[in-house]
Amino acid sequence: MGQVSGTGSVDQFRQSFCEEARDVLVELESALLELNENRSDEGLVGRVFRGLHTLKGSGSMFGFDELAEFTHNLETAFDEVRNGRLAVCSDLIDLTLKALDRIRMLLEDDREKAAGEAPLRAGIRSRLKKLTGSCEAEPTRGVTNAPVVLSGQVRDWHIHFAPGADMMRTGADPFLLLRELGRMGGLSLQASMDAVPPLKELDPERCYVSWEMVLATTADRDAIRDVFIFVDDCCELVIEPASASSCETQEAFKIREVCAADLTAIGLADQRAGTGGRRVYDKADNATSLRVPAGKLDQFVDLVGELVTVQARLSELSARRDDPEVAEVSEEIERLTSSLRENSMNIRMMPMRSTFEKFRRLVHDLARDLGKDVELTIEGADTELDKSVIDQLSDPLMHLIRNSMDHGIEAPGMRGTCGKRSTATIHLSARHSGASVLIGVSDDGGGIDAEAVRHRAVEKGLVDADATLTESQIYSLIFQPGFSTAKQLTDVSGRGVGMDVVRQRVESLRGTIEVVSKPGVGTSVTLRLPLTLAIIDGLLVSVGEAYFVLPLAVTLECIELTRADVERANGKHLANVRGELIPYIRLRQYFDIAGDAPEIEQIMMVETGEGRYGFVVDKVLGDCQTVIKNLGRVYRHVQVVSGATILGNGSVALIVDPERLVQEVVRSLAHGVRGRPLGAGRGREGLQSQSTTPADGPGHGDRARSR
Amino acid sequence: MPLTQKQGVESNLLLLEGTVDIACAAELKSLLIEGLGAGKSMRVSMERADSLDVTAVQLLWAAAREAKAGGVELVLEGLVPGPIQAALGGMGFREFRSAMGMS
Repeated sequence: MGQVSGTGSVDQFRQSFCEEARDVLVELESALLELNENRSDEGLVGRVFRGLHTLKGSGSMFGFDELAEFTHNLETAFDEVRNGRLAVCSDLIDLTLKALDRIRMLLEDDREKAAGEAPLRAGIRSRLKKLTGSCEAEPTRGVTNAPVVLSGQVRDWHIHFAPGADMMRTGADPFLLLRELGRMGGLSLQASMDAVPPLKELDPERCYVSWEMVLATTADRDAIRDVFIFVDDCCELVIEPASASSCETQEAFKIREVCAADLTAIGLADQRAGTGGRRVYDKADNATSLRVPAGKLDQFVDLVGELVTVQARLSELSARRDDPEVAEVSEEIERLTSSLRENSMNIRMMPMRSTFEKFRRLVHDLARDLGKDVELTIEGADTELDKSVIDQLSDPLMHLIRNSMDHGIEAPGMRGTCGKRSTATIHLSARHSGASVLIGVSDDGGGIDAEAVRHRAVEKGLVDADATLTESQIYSLIFQPGFSTAKQLTDVSGRGVGMDVVRQRVESLRGTIEVVSKPGVGTSVTLRLPLTLAIIDGLLVSVGEAYFVLPLAVTLECIELTRADVERANGKHLANVRGELIPYIRLRQYFDIAGDAPEIEQIMMVETGEGRYGFVVDKVLGDCQTVIKNLGRVYRHVQVVSGATILGNGSVALIVDPERLVQEVVRSLAHGVRGRPLGAGRGREGLQSQSTTPADGPGHGDRARSR
Repeated sequence: MPLTQKQGVESNLLLLEGTVDIACAAELKSLLIEGLGAGKSMRVSMERADSLDVTAVQLLWAAAREAKAGGVELVLEGLVPGPIQAALGGMGFREFRSAMGMS
């Protein structure tokens, strides 16, 4: 019984198992590292055991026999821990972490690789055997090993299990699940054939049978549910504690065996009645979440993007026609498109937690290899970010952490001399800031030696020996390709590659990097990243015949700029906004747009990391949903523009990256001609006069009108 | 091949061999419909079967129920291997075992 068939969709569901198993591995790794810190925590031991148990049972069910067999060894070891026969020690933690790496490889389902790694697995088994003493792990096939011995009070659970219509087609076998359940304690079960249709109508690959069960076990609800973890999105599962005593329940169950269809006997009737006959899902996730391949999601968002573009055309068309009915439909579609866009963007948002948590292992391993004592603290793990951004964050964060651990954090002895705690800290943080997310990696190490960085940069010809650089500019040099001040190359870092990877990746995400460091206190690197890379709310502006979009999230207000204002400021690019001088950049000059400016121009005030700035445009046309289209490889070096979008009238609007535009202009001023961006030279006069008095500004006090 | 249908004068014999699971469920359904539609009694032999999955069990169950309703005889021929008997019992298929005339 319980054979898995070889239908075409099985591969797809094996893949699904692999994805979920990887999630289990992440959770296991996290639990193990926590256990390493709190070795007597029985709850953590239970988490590890359950994770291993789930991997083994489900692996076996989906035909990953080698994985199941290997995991069984670990499960046995942690069963010994649970039963107090084995103590948690560093060796056990390290060995289990290594074993998880091997399991991760086995999930690749590559027979050749699996065979190649057999000696490694054998080595781990052998070391486990030494650790567990006489308790040698028996090989296992499927779920036929001895029942799981659970300590604690035996409790009865009513379980209703109805495999979903497609469960058999996924390669999952309900018989194996039931056997697994049987290993948890005393199981009485009754198969209900009520839903089996007449032979001719019966879909031969669909499961119509459901089971009602009573399980007497010491396991809790979560442990029972774990048996079904890999099929819980394609089955109906109710796990209810029995209200009656064990004997009464068993008796009630015997009665049920006579009237198999009578669900009321085990208390499910109340649930059904309360939902109009519909069955209640025991686990909220069953009803509210499902796993969708990222590719499908990307396709969905692309289509929403196209819809937004078409909707813009419709709005444009409607505006040109004086037809109230068309206008009404157009407005309705605009509202719906806007909601759809917002929803589709939200679907892609994911918390940073899983990305952050996986670095616990990196910190643990590096600390061991470097002989340093380091703890990882995490803040803002629930901060959400577009999945496509998160996917590209792992590498930069890894390099930053490696760099901190290798170069930032001092050797334990030295920390003591400096009066620091021997345990160093790496702190990962995430938080929203307008339309951006700030991801921070900080350490309490020795800080960056700015003079050494500068010296090395001069040696490498990156800066002139007599160049005047701010601290921030000096720190930014560490992100140059091949830049390293390390005297010694280590396995961890020192080649000057990692920071370059960080810079490249962050730039490709249209993000920025900020480094703050204090000698002897530590270093903090902050990555400012856009929330999403797909569709944004924008403000459409025009300069001559050209259109631009500014991200709405960073715009503050709109102020009029008259020629008289400009003359009063002696040509300096400063606006007096309620007594505060705000520098501005003329987009007409920056982008070299032909034609004369109108009598009254508009200054769009924006908030950037460099402070408040103004962008001078001819007209502000209003807000718009903006589908970001990549400009392609040819324009990949044009940093001040995030992309382009197609407007309803078919025109193309460039999406300005205010942060970068300001940075570029400021940088071009600092570097003189070198590194000057497109047309930047023309806009610097006003910025150079930032130190001028308020009287130099174009507007005096109330003259600047906010809209 | 796990499924073989043998035509007889008074009855048809359906032989189940090896692993009878979802991979051959569609074929099992066709053979059962064909067998029941022949107007003869039907014998099912599991003697050479190693395992049945739930798709096979529910097909046999539906066939037995249909046979009974149509007044057609559907009986098990020969012994049902112990592991299959045990597994059916262990999975709670009492109704099925009863309908198929298993002990």
